[in-house]
Amino acid sequence: MTDETLHHSEDHENVHHPRRNIVYFIIGSVLVAFALVLVSMSLYISSGAAQLDLSRPGYKAVQNEVEPSDTFVSFPASGEVNNTVIEQFLKLFRKQVKSVDNTDVFSPAALDEQALGLDSPPVEN
Amino acid sequence: MKSVFMSLTALLVATFVLTGLPVFAQDASEAMTDEHIARIKANCQAAMGTIGRIHAYDAPTYINRNQTYFSISDKMMARLNARLAVNRFDASALVKTASNYNDTLTQFRSAYKQYDDSMADILRMDCKRQPVTFYDKVRQTQEERRKVNEAVLELKSLIDQYEQGVESFQIQHAAQLSGVRS
Repeated sequence: MTDETLHHSEDHENVHHPRRNIVYFIIGSVLVAFALVLVSMSLYISSGAAQLDLSRPGYKAVQNEVEPSDTFVSFPASGEVNNTVIEQFLKLFRKQVKSVDNTDVFSPAALDEQALGLDSPPVEN
Repeated sequence: MKSVFMSLTALLVATFVLTGLPVFAQDASEAMTDEHIARIKANCQAAMGTIGRIHAYDAPTYINRNQTYFSISDKMMARLNARLAVNRFDASALVKTASNYNDTLTQFRSAYKQYDDSMADILRMDCKRQPVTFYDKVRQTQEERRKVNEAVLELKSLIDQYEQGVESFQIQHAAQLSGVRS
């Protein structure tokens, strides 16, 4: 092999290395992005954030059912304490807890086998 | 030494046998008839539709409840407790109720998450191909929904307890609250 041929071959390798590096870089980036997506999805599911997310498919129809959170009035954390303050607190407290007075929510009867038509058929005599 | 080893082995075997027996008995008592499986297959698509609607309407109910329950703790209970502490009143009973309330709120959230995951699993199932698994999953999810409801009942009870606690506090500290502090 002549010197000229050797130089030519080295030049050829130098030309191809950057392209190979770009391919490695792209594959690496995709793998890192995939790993980050996996981590964020697992956090989204395990933290309970998914249960509060109504932008998920199938929840569009019920998005309007969510009440705005800024309607709840805060009781002042500082100031003197006397009979009037306690009365004011009790009045505000009773008013604001009214929305959660109903304890029928999440009643297990909604998933009753009979209501869903999944109970065992009646035995014929 | 050998007899001790033999006794321990016998004890272990007996434990496994005795703990295993009720499980076998339960499985046997819940064996499904072909008619029941056929009924599940026939009605499961309609049941899936109902379950899907329940699942969709549960979400805003949970979001609203979770928000209000948190606000009751954060914007009412914690603030009154802090105000009483700053004014050097003994509000230990109220603090304890508020702490129990926060623990129950955590239970409510985790119970709902478990229930919601099970509902999503049901909706992904092919109920016609796996009718028995589908039926078992519905029953399990019903139990998980019961736990969410129990947490709701417990939270309501603690809200009432806190209100009664404030009323008791008012009676106990009537003199101080009227401005005659000792």
